[in-house]
Amino acid sequence: MADHPLTPVQAQRAQEAAGRFTRPGLWLQIALLVLLALEPWFISSFRVMDVAAKVMIFAVLVASYDLLLGYTGIFSLAHAMFFGLGAYSLALIVHHAGAPAWHHLPLAALVAVGLAVLVSLVVAFFSLRLKALFFVVMTLALAQFADILSIQWHSLTRGEDGVSFKLPGWLDVGWSGGKLWGLTINGRLLSYFLVLAAAALLFVGLVRFVRSPAGRVLKSIRDNEQRATALGYQTFNYQILANVFGAVVASLCGVLYALWVRFVGPESVMSTAIMLNILLMLIIGGMGTLYGSIVGAAFILIAESWLADGLRAVKTFLPDLLILQRLADRWILYFGVLFILVVIFFPKGLVGTARDIAARRRARSSE
Amino acid sequence: MPEFILSLHQVHTFIGQHHILQGVSLQVPEGQALVLLGRNGAGKSTTLRTVMGMTPARSGHIVLGERDISRARPFEIARAGIGFVPEDQAVLYTLTVEENFRLAMLHEDEGSYARQERVFALFPDLKKFWKSKAGVLSGGQKQMLAIGRTMVNDHRLLLIDEPSKGLAPILVDQLAEALNQIKSHTTIVLVEQNFHMASKVGGDYYILDDGVVAHQGRMEELAQDHQLKQKYLGIA
Amino acid sequence: MNSAAQTAAASPAADFKKWAGWVVGIGIWLLPLLWINLTTYLVLTVAGVTMGMLLFLTASGFTIILGLMDVINLAHGAFFAWGAYTGFTVLGLLNRLGWVETGTLGQSIGSVLICLLLALAVGWVLGVLLEWLVIRRTYGSHLKQILITMGAALVMAEIISICWGPNDEVVLTPAAFTGSVDLWNVVIEKFRLAAILVGGGVFLAMHYVLQRTKLGIIVRGGVENRDMVQALGHNIRRIFTYVFAAGAALAAMGGTMWSIYTREIRPDMGESNLIFALIVVVIGGMGSVTGCFLASLMVGLAFNYVAYSVPTLALGVNIMIMAVILLLRPSGLMGRS
Repeated sequence: MADHPLTPVQAQRAQEAAGRFTRPGLWLQIALLVLLALEPWFISSFRVMDVAAKVMIFAVLVASYDLLLGYTGIFSLAHAMFFGLGAYSLALIVHHAGAPAWHHLPLAALVAVGLAVLVSLVVAFFSLRLKALFFVVMTLALAQFADILSIQWHSLTRGEDGVSFKLPGWLDVGWSGGKLWGLTINGRLLSYFLVLAAAALLFVGLVRFVRSPAGRVLKSIRDNEQRATALGYQTFNYQILANVFGAVVASLCGVLYALWVRFVGPESVMSTAIMLNILLMLIIGGMGTLYGSIVGAAFILIAESWLADGLRAVKTFLPDLLILQRLADRWILYFGVLFILVVIFFPKGLVGTARDIAARRRARSSE
Repeated sequence: MPEFILSLHQVHTFIGQHHILQGVSLQVPEGQALVLLGRNGAGKSTTLRTVMGMTPARSGHIVLGERDISRARPFEIARAGIGFVPEDQAVLYTLTVEENFRLAMLHEDEGSYARQERVFALFPDLKKFWKSKAGVLSGGQKQMLAIGRTMVNDHRLLLIDEPSKGLAPILVDQLAEALNQIKSHTTIVLVEQNFHMASKVGGDYYILDDGVVAHQGRMEELAQDHQLKQKYLGIA
Repeated sequence: MNSAAQTAAASPAADFKKWAGWVVGIGIWLLPLLWINLTTYLVLTVAGVTMGMLLFLTASGFTIILGLMDVINLAHGAFFAWGAYTGFTVLGLLNRLGWVETGTLGQSIGSVLICLLLALAVGWVLGVLLEWLVIRRTYGSHLKQILITMGAALVMAEIISICWGPNDEVVLTPAAFTGSVDLWNVVIEKFRLAAILVGGGVFLAMHYVLQRTKLGIIVRGGVENRDMVQALGHNIRRIFTYVFAAGAALAAMGGTMWSIYTREIRPDMGESNLIFALIVVVIGGMGSVTGCFLASLMVGLAFNYVAYSVPTLALGVNIMIMAVILLLRPSGLMGRS
C-alpha cells in the first residue's frame, strides 16, 4: 500500500465507504422507513394512511424534479405532465380493458415509461440546446397542451369527470385476508405497502443516480457548463439523460398515485396546480438536497389536510361573512404568499438551511 | 499645491471573490491627460469602472471636486460630470450614430449642440454617417463615436479605456491628436497599453501593479527610464 | 466598414435559414385555403388578426421587460386577468346608468374608453407594486424570477377569486358593438374591428415612442447594453419601473378588450393568455417589438384556422410552429443571437 498512495479523491471515497454504516443519516432513513411501515398499526385512521401514502409518492416525485432543477439546472415546467401521463396510463388501461387483470399493472408501468422517454426525448431535442427560457416556455406550453387534451379528449379520458377504476385481486378495496397483529389485512393496506416499497426503491434509485459518476458530471454542468465541456464531457447527452430519467421516475410516481387513489382526472394529476405544488415542496424542502423533498412533501400535504379543516371550521362558525368565507375557501392563496416569502427570504429551504447550520457548527468546532 | 479634480483614497474593489483593487490612491490634477499604465490584469480598467460606480468600491473614498462619489450609482456619477468611454469601441450597435448622440446628451440645450458641432469638426466621419447604424462603422469610427458622444456634455472629466486597442497605427496617431485637442478643455484619465500613444498624450502617469499603485511621475521622465519600463510594462 | 461587408456577405446556409423562416411565416397564412372555403377563410382571418392584436398587447410588454432588464415575468398574464375584471366591473356599473346595453353610439364608445383607461390605471398601479415588492429582489436570477412570478401569478388570480368569486362571469357588450357588418358575404363582428383598431393603434404608438422619442432610444439602448446606458447618465432602474408598469398596463388593456370580445371571464384566464404570449415572444425574438407583432399575428391566425377544423389541437399547432421556428432561427424571427 505504501507504494501506491491514494489520490485525494480515492481517499475521500474510501472514507465515505468506511463510514457508510455509522452515518446518522442512514439510521434516520431506516427509522423513517420502519415508522412508515408500522404506521397502520399505530393510528388506525384511513386519513392518516392516505396522507402518508401521498407524502411518499410526492416525495419521490419532488426528488425526481430536484434531479432536474436542483442537480442539473434544467428548469422544466412539464414535470406534472409526466406524472399525469403515468397516472392516465394505468387508469385508461384498466378502464378501457374491461375487467381489471394483473398484467395491467406492468403494462401500465411500461406504457408510462415508454411515453415519458419518448416525450422527454422530443422535448429535449427541440429545446434543451437553446436558452433556458425557451425550455421553460416549451415545457409550460406542452404541459398546458396535455392538460387541454386530458380535458377535451372526452372519448379517451372522460374529460373533467375523470376515470375511477378497480384494481385486480388483493389490491381491490373489497379484498380481505384475515388479521395480523390486530389489524385487518385488506386491499387498502396491501396497496399502502406496495406504494411504500415502490417509493423507497425509486428514492434509493434517485440517490444512487445523483451519487454516481454521471450524477457528479451533472452537478459540474449545473455549476459551470463551459468548464464541463472543456473537461471533455458531452454535456448535452448528460442533460438529456437527466431529463429522461427524471421524466421516467415522475411517470412511475403517476402510476403509483393512480394505484393508490384509484381515480384520475385532469384537476388531480395534470393541472398547473400540481406543478406549483411540486415547486413549492421543492423550495420549502430545499433544492439540490434530494432529502428536502421528503420534508417539503410532508409539510405541504399535512398542512393542506389540516389547513382545509381549520378553514372549514371558520366557515361553519362565521357563516355570514362572504369575504371571510371566500378567504377561507382560497387557501391556495396562502401557499402562494408562502412560496414568494420562502423564495425571497429562505431560498435554500429547510434541509438546505439545516445543512448550512450544521456545516458552520462543524467548521467552528474544528477550529 | 495643484488643484485635484478627482482623487481616490485607499480604494478596494472586489469582483466576485477576487480582490482586484487593493488600496488604490491617486490624484488627478485639472487640465491634463493622466495616464494609467500597467500590465493586463493590473486593475486599470477596474479603476475606471470603480470611479464610474459600475463595479462599486467596497471601501475607500472617491472624491470628484468637493463631492464624495464612492457610493453613488453610475448615472449619478455621469450627471456629476464624468464622461466614460468604455473599452472595445463600445457603442450601441443597434442605434444610429444620431441616436447614440441623443442618448448621451444629458441636456438638450444650445451649449450641447454647440459642443456637438465641435465634435463634428474633430471627427468629420461622424457627421457623414449620422443616420447609419453604429454597428456598421469601422473600428476607428466606432471609437470616435464612443469618445465624441460623451463630449456633447459639459463634462469636467473624461475616463477613456484603451482607445487605441485594435486600431491601425495611423488611426492611433489621429486619435492621439484628437485627445490632445480635447485635453485643452477637459481633463482626461486615459488607460493605455500603447506606450507610443500614452507618451504623446499623457502628462502625469500612474503605474498599477497587482491592484496597487506601484509608481508615479511625469510621462517625459518615464519615457527615459528604461529600467522602470522593463520592470512594470515589459517593454524596453 | 469591414463589419458592414461581413454582415452583407452572410453564408448561403444562414441565408437559406433566414428565408425559410419567412416562407414558413407567410405560408401559414395561405395553407388553410386547401381545406377551408374562401368566405370562411376570410372570417377566420379577421378573427385571427383580432386575436393577434390582443395577444400583442400582452406579449409586447413581456418582450420589452425581458429585453431591457432580463426579467422573466410569469405574472404578466395576471395583469391581463385584472384588466378583464376591471372592464367587467366598470361595464356593470355603467350599465346601471343605461350606457352599455341600451345606450347611444357615443355612450358605447365612451364606456369602452372608460374601461380601457381604468384598466390601464389598474395595470399601471399593480405593475409598480409588483416591481417594488417582488421583482426588484430577483434581478440577475432567472430561477428566482420564474419561481417568484409564478407565485405572484397564483396570488393575483386567487385575489380575483376572493374579490369577484371563483366562477365564470358574463361580460356585457356595449350596444353599438353588438352585431356584425357584412362585407361581400364575409360576416365581421363589429367589436372585432374595434379590437383591430385598438391593437393596431397601440402598435403604431409603441413604434413611434420606441423609434422617435428619447425614452425609446434609452429603452432600445438598454435592451442592447444596460450598463452602458447607465454610464451615459440614465437611471435605468427607474426607467425599468416605468416600462414594467407600462407593460402591465398594456396587458390589462388587452384583458379588457379580450373580455368584451369573448364575453366571458374566469379568474385563471391569465394563465392560458400568458402561454400564448410566451409562444409569441419566443417566435418573435426576445426584446423585438416588430417581431412580437408579426408573431402575434401568426399565432392568432394559426390558432383560428386550426381551431375551426380541430379545436383540441389549436394550442398544439402553435407549439409546433414555435418548435419549427426555433429550429430554423434559434433566436426567433427578429431576435439577435
